[in-house]
Formats: sequence, structure tokens, C-alpha cells
Amino acid sequence: MATPPDTLDKVGAGLDALDVPVEAHKASLWQRFLKTGVPPIIAFALLLGVWQGLWASAILPEFQLPAPVNVWNELVRSISTGEAFGILWTSLHRAVLGFLAAVLIATPLGLLIAKVRVVRAAIGSLLTGLQSLPSVAWVPAAILWFGVTPSTIYFVVLMGSVPSIANGLVAGIDQIPPLLPRVGRALGAGRLASARHILLPAALPGYLAGLKQGWAFSWRSLMAAEIIATSPQLGVGLGQYLHNGSSLNDINMVIAAIFLILLVGIGIELLLFRPLERAVLRARGLTGAL
Amino acid sequence: MTATLETTSLSTVDTAVELSGIRKVFGHGNSAVVALDGVDLKVKPGEFVCLLGASGCGKSTLLNIVAGLDGATSGSLELNTSRPAVMFQEPALMPWLTASRNVELALRFAGVGRLARRRRAQELLELVRLGDVADKRPHELSGGMRQRVALARALASTTVSADGSPALLLMDEPFAALDAITRDVLQAELIRVWETTNTAIIFVTHDVREAVRLGQRVVLLSSRPGRVVREWDVTDSRDEVLDEINTHLREVISGHAS
Repeated sequence: MATPPDTLDKVGAGLDALDVPVEAHKASLWQRFLKTGVPPIIAFALLLGVWQGLWASAILPEFQLPAPVNVWNELVRSISTGEAFGILWTSLHRAVLGFLAAVLIATPLGLLIAKVRVVRAAIGSLLTGLQSLPSVAWVPAAILWFGVTPSTIYFVVLMGSVPSIANGLVAGIDQIPPLLPRVGRALGAGRLASARHILLPAALPGYLAGLKQGWAFSWRSLMAAEIIATSPQLGVGLGQYLHNGSSLNDINMVIAAIFLILLVGIGIELLLFRPLERAVLRARGLTGAL
Repeated sequence: MTATLETTSLSTVDTAVELSGIRKVFGHGNSAVVALDGVDLKVKPGEFVCLLGASGCGKSTLLNIVAGLDGATSGSLELNTSRPAVMFQEPALMPWLTASRNVELALRFAGVGRLARRRRAQELLELVRLGDVADKRPHELSGGMRQRVALARALASTTVSADGSPALLLMDEPFAALDAITRDVLQAELIRVWETTNTAIIFVTHDVREAVRLGQRVVLLSSRPGRVVREWDVTDSRDEVLDEINTHLREVISGHAS
């Protein structure tokens, strides 16, 4: 009645052969460009066309809706004089420093909230509430506390991004299948080893989503702070540039500033977070969304 | 492939596991549920014991107690083995690690150095015939392959002790979620691995056929509360006892009908 073992071995080998994953066909660089690069370019071109059309129809006066080419000229001017680089540097280095500080604060905070019940009960909902408070609401208070100084700007950036990052980490930890830490214990992992080798890597997708949102929030908060808190001491960042454009009634400058703000946001997303997220999700076989 | 586990042929210990009067109660007062009530069980080094029972017999609870993942309410547990390894119904591999890294993780927790870790993981993967897919991640493997990686990982965690104490593998319905052909192949695989490594195995199942095929001894547990009803030595009479065990299991289950 029992099947001879060598037959079963063959069945097993056959199953394995059938189960070995088939290497997916890898698209060439050109094909990938056609698939992912061309649609946004077309969308952008269409947008430009609509804009040009609206301008040509002259429904709105020139000081409200400028011609695309004038905005382009303003961009070229600020880049060729080197002004744009100074502005971008001022804002970007603030955003990056603020974001890094937020990561350093939010990560242990998130771990505490996720793992210590009384901390979660005490400040968990406060943190979620802070997330829905626009961080620009902190600007007036911060100006009273710190004056119009870089501290004000960093404070607003932190208040914007810390809740997102901490909440992302908490969500990531909450979504770990309970079996994984159990397996860790069965394999003999202590608390620290379990946190380092199981909890943190398992929570990585949620944490990364939090980081991404945290970056977006710190960039937004920074712009809000720079637009409101302007002083010679702070130098000219993108927000200040936008503010100046509005003061000078120069719509070309305003649109150029908005364009640069968007450019940084999209650039960081495409160059940093998208590849990171892709690598993390792909390693786990979660390729549905890519 | 040579035997890869330290075994106890020279050891004087003649029981690997000894449970006496194990009782486990969940909850308190009126809502308390007695899951296990005075379970006695002895497992010899290198012995393959199957715990058989319907749902609610506390067989998983018993396994968790032996594994040290759960404490008994009363009774005593004596382990003369290295750290017991556990295999669950799901493979529960870390989805971000390759097959080989998953096996290495067990060794890493035991403080084994990097090179030794890598070599040992490769050995164990070859033992379950997965040497070729060491670099694949869990989502690239089939259910049966994942469960074999989990077996390799479990073996890695039980064989690290250097003092020569016998190894113990606890398996909680590890093949229940697999299709019939794969289960058949894996059962043969497990017997082969058990014969090469001489690990003591406590295997929990609700499938009489599986219990009789794999075990040297089958222990039938009653349900709510779990007690040992009867044991069979099945090594010499696998086909004959099958019906008898089936009859007893049905009796245990029908006892709950009213």
C-alpha cells in the first residue's frame, strides 16, 4: 500500500521543477521609458497647451494669467543668474535638516507608542490629532516664542512631520502578523534581537510610508513657514521668493516659484522614495502596486 | 549527506521530554476553560510521537507549553534536550529574507558566526533538497517549499547546542494547509530527515492517517478538557491500527454531540 520511497522522491523532484519560479521577462530600458516616462510627458504637454490656449483667449488679464513663455523666461533668468540655486539650497537644506531631525525624534517616539501600552493610551490619539492640525497654525506661536529666526522654521517643520513619521511606524508595527514575533521567540530571540531582526524589518513598509508622508509634510510646513515668516536674517528660500513675487505683483515670479516647489517635491519622491519603496516592496513580493 | 545533528547515542538520558500532570486553564472564575487536565507524556530521545485529537483537545496548547511559549497552570515539564524547535501550520518565514537568510536567522540568535552560519544554512537547505533555491525569497517559493525552508530553520534552531543534549522538534499540524500530493511528499521527506538526524519529534495532527504513517507512537487526546485517552505503538502494525484509532477518535468526538 505504501508508495516506494524512490517514486515519492521523483514526485517531489517533479513538484519542485513545476514550482520553480519562472523568471519574468525583463523589459528593455526603451520599453520601460515608453511605459512610464511618456504618459507624464504627454500629460504635461497637454497642460501647457491648455494654459497657452487660455492665455491666448485673453479671458484673464495678463497680471493674473501670464504666458507660459514669460514664466519660462523668469525661470531661465533666475537659473542663469544663479539666484535659483541659492533659493533652492536655502529651502532644501532646511527641509532636509528638519526632516532628519524629525526622523530622529519620531522613530523612538513611534517605538514607544507602539510597544508601551500606557504611552499609547496617553499620547496616541494626541499624535493622530496633531497630524490633522495644519502645521502653519504653529507659525504665529513660534514667532512669539522664537522670533523670526531659523528656530521658528525648524519648529514648524518638526510639528508637521514628526506625527506622520511616528504614526507610520506605529501602523507598521501594529500590522506585523503576530506569528512572526512568536517564531522569533521560538527561535530563541531576546527582546532586543527580536526588535532588531524581526519587528523593525517587518514594520519597514509602514515606516517607509510614514517617512514619505513625513517628508511631504515637512516640505509643506517649510513653505508655509517661509511664506509667513520673512526677514533678512532668514535669507531667501522658495517661500520667501514666492512671497516677494506676490508683493511685487509679479505673476511670472509667483508661478515660477510654485513650479520650483512642485519640482522639488516630485524630484525627491521620484529620486529617493519611489526607488526605496519599490525595492522594499519588491523584496517582499508586494509588486501589485508597482 | 552525512547525519548533521548531534545525537545522544552515548548519553545516559533515556527521556527527552517528560510531562506529568500538566494542567492548563484559560480565563478565571465562571468563564474559565480547562484546556488540559492532567496530561502525562514521556518522549524518548530520537522518538517520533504523534499527538492526535479533534479540535479543542488542547494539542497546540500542549505543544506551546513544551516549546516554552506558554506556561502550564500546574504540573511539571522536564526537558533533557537542547532548545526545542517549533514548526507551525504556516511556514511563517520572514518575507524580507531569502530562504538561506531565514535559516541563518535561527543560528544568528544563537550567536553563530557569519561563515559558520552560511555553511550550516546551506547544509540544512540541502538536507530538505532546497540547495538550489537558497537565494529565493519566500514569495518566489511554493507552499511546500516554504514549509521545507521552515523545517530547515527549525532544525537549525534545535541543533546549535554544543553540549550534545538530544534535539527536539515540535510540529503543530505543519502539513495541514498543503495539497494532498505535496503533503504526501513532505511526509516522506520528514521521515527521511528524522532518520538522518535522529531528532525526537512531537507531531500534532488531527489526521489519523498522517499520525499512523509518521509516528512510532500515536497518543490520542480527548477534547475539552484534553486528557490522554490511549496510546498505540504503531511501528509494526501501521495498517491494522488505523481503523482502531479511527474508531476511538470518533467515539471521543461523538461524546460531545449532546
